[in-house]
Amino acid sequence: MSYSACFHCALPVDRDDEFQVEIDGELKSVCCPGCKAVAELIRDTGMSNYYTMRDAPQPGVGRPADDAAEWQVYDRVDMLGAFAETSDDQAEATIYVGGMYCAACSWLIETTLAKVAGISSADVNPVTHRVRVHWYVGKLGLGRILATLAELGYDPQPLAPESAARPEVAEQRAALKRLLVASLGMMQVMMFAVGLYAGDFQGMAADMQYFLRLVSFIVTTPVVFYAARPFFTGAWRGIVSRMPGMDLPVSIAIAAAYVGSIYSMMTRGPAIWFDSVVMFVFFLTLGRFLEMRARHRSIDRSTALSTLLPNTVTRCDGGERNVVPASQLVEGDYVLVRPGESIPADGVLVIGETTVDEALLTGEAEPRPKSIDDNLVAGSINLDGVIQMCVERTGSDTTLGTISRLSERARYARPSFVQLADRIASYIVIAILVIAAVVAAFWYVTAPDRAFVITLSVLVVTCPCALALATPAAFAAAATRLSELHLLITNGNAIEALSRATRILFDKTGTLTRGMPVIVSTQILDDSFDEAQCLNLAAALETVSTHPLAKAFTQLSNACVATDQRVVPGKGVAGTIDAQRWRLGRYDFAAHDSSDTTQDEQATSVYLGTNGRIVAKFDLDDAIRPGAATTLDNLRKLGLTLELVSGDNKEAVRRVAETLGIPDYHSGCTPEDKLEIIRSAQQSGEIVVMVGDGINDAPVLAGADASVAPVHGALLAQTSADVIMLGETLQPIVSGVRTARKTMQIVKQNLAWAIVYNAAALPLAAMGFVPPWAAAIGMSASSLIVVLNALRLSRYGAP
Amino acid sequence: MSILYLLIPLALLLLAGAVWAFFWAVGAGQFDDLDTPAVRIVMDDDKKPPDDPEP
Repeated sequence: MSYSACFHCALPVDRDDEFQVEIDGELKSVCCPGCKAVAELIRDTGMSNYYTMRDAPQPGVGRPADDAAEWQVYDRVDMLGAFAETSDDQAEATIYVGGMYCAACSWLIETTLAKVAGISSADVNPVTHRVRVHWYVGKLGLGRILATLAELGYDPQPLAPESAARPEVAEQRAALKRLLVASLGMMQVMMFAVGLYAGDFQGMAADMQYFLRLVSFIVTTPVVFYAARPFFTGAWRGIVSRMPGMDLPVSIAIAAAYVGSIYSMMTRGPAIWFDSVVMFVFFLTLGRFLEMRARHRSIDRSTALSTLLPNTVTRCDGGERNVVPASQLVEGDYVLVRPGESIPADGVLVIGETTVDEALLTGEAEPRPKSIDDNLVAGSINLDGVIQMCVERTGSDTTLGTISRLSERARYARPSFVQLADRIASYIVIAILVIAAVVAAFWYVTAPDRAFVITLSVLVVTCPCALALATPAAFAAAATRLSELHLLITNGNAIEALSRATRILFDKTGTLTRGMPVIVSTQILDDSFDEAQCLNLAAALETVSTHPLAKAFTQLSNACVATDQRVVPGKGVAGTIDAQRWRLGRYDFAAHDSSDTTQDEQATSVYLGTNGRIVAKFDLDDAIRPGAATTLDNLRKLGLTLELVSGDNKEAVRRVAETLGIPDYHSGCTPEDKLEIIRSAQQSGEIVVMVGDGINDAPVLAGADASVAPVHGALLAQTSADVIMLGETLQPIVSGVRTARKTMQIVKQNLAWAIVYNAAALPLAAMGFVPPWAAAIGMSASSLIVVLNALRLSRYGAP
Repeated sequence: MSILYLLIPLALLLLAGAVWAFFWAVGAGQFDDLDTPAVRIVMDDDKKPPDDPEP
């Protein structure tokens, strides 16, 4: 199967001629009216350049939501207190913008906001996904700004001032300063070193030599005490925790060479090693900086919790109804929740009756009926009734907050190969220190004047620099490449696990399927109507319904118009079309016959009826993700065993498994069952990758060797996933496995090179054939080879 | 060669100035976004919207 992709959001397009937009003289197909509106807006404001400049779009990102009206509440003046800082007539607010993914996005946002009258400035930071806006209070409200962002297809969310500060920014600033000090220092000291070496060959006045050494010392000092400080603190932490890492020999080599050079300078000895020190520090700092950048690129998950909850709620204070920010809710408040809104806090239903969608928590799409005294869970969505609830727990005390914290903890507690690598590294470190001590002792006995120089050479030459860079450099390059392939890596372990994976477990709902119903078959029970007519009637009736099954109909057409519609929670919807009363919903409801409920009660069948007769029956099923079959074939070609585990009923699971040709499937699984399946596979030596989206999958995701969560799934599943898959298709998993395998190949090459280099250089240095400057060049060259080899990954799989 | 005794300290002063300027720029947030400025130059801010956008 092949799909043409939506020009705006890259989702598959069903029919090329259904929705089209003319951009720069060419007709482009888009997937839905929403994307069409956004693309036209971008074109009409003269910013179609966005489409040529952006990175390859992540499918589905940038698709507009259809709830523009909700932004109006932010126009009110009392909202300014909660989300903005005001001074005189100006206000300033920080807005989190979901869906921003490349430099062209930040350009589009900045330019669009700058054109809105009343906004004085807008600064976009694509790293933290934040926009800082200044505007004139009298001219427009915050709601207008948010609505502008929403019209562009982004998902804006105003942040309270205290949550606006980002630790990443501070970290990046500090790292940049260190890198600059190290690089400028290196350049300067190298320059003086060239003079000093030339002096060694041609002869140099003793005063001039001392002067150049003194200047080198002055420039090296800030490099050692400022740029290299993280290595010293890291080494100290390693000593305290009795797990010496790479930082320890690095620190010893830096400190020894620095102190030794000062001593040699004061006593006018034969050589100094400031040049080795700065070069060493520079390369290590550069490596750390690149690694940090790759880390920051991974998705900003700290706001995951708050994006699930509404920003504002309707609080009932006595007889009055006030719209207040959700953060002001306290225990005992009464809150009004309308259909389509999400539940803002944990609590108890006190007035009304409704069904709620708890898919966010349970991962299962089936809505649950709720009546008075039932518990409501924050983050679930109220589907069809107006209810009032009493708040019991808010914010991080809610079930949602607790699950989020637990999955964070599970992540830290997980035994990982990184700890093993650290332990191996600490043995290497101890070995290097022992060898250096032995070499020092040997030379101190035989030739005391050369002992220091040779020991230093040994420390520098065996510095596990290339060894230390071998893995992170490759991982950083791979993480960048994978993000271009629509996979965000949040945990470096995942790359190794993906490359070694033998078995992939898929969850069904929301993973292999889109978690969105489609009509699989239509049965006409009354010959005076045809199929198209029935679908049109159903689509018209469902326009008012917020029930998840309604989505299957409302996307179809708008050929008929229904009036006087009424939603009956848990039953269906009724309405008048062409002076005839129609009913759509469960069998008993559609037939208008409360006695006969013995009929087929399958929840995924919907009936259309009029005057007590059933006219049509629609069978709904969860749509399988576009291209899933191709993806699974490709995975099998990579030699992976596939398995389907789901909490759903046997019939539904079997249908999906057979359609996709998965022989192993398990239905009705609780999270514990799923975890057990993973454990038993792991015990027989398999490396298991879990792909799942529900919050109840969180422990399962944490238990697998590597876990993948789709970005449209429950946001909290993403907090316990190692890899977040962007877009609507499963295809990234295939490229992910391929890239991971290539990455591990490059890591092995790098490690082999580093070990061969060290093994060759160590005896030479120990025998005194390598002066420190040659050791520093050798070390730098070997590091450079490692980094360049890793950078090959950044083009891997590109055409 | 004694001119070096003047020139090298001068070079160090310039170096200190450069480091100070960079620290100030980092502190002012000019380096917070390292990706957008690279592509901004090729984007036309002054491209006029079409006069008569199609409906």
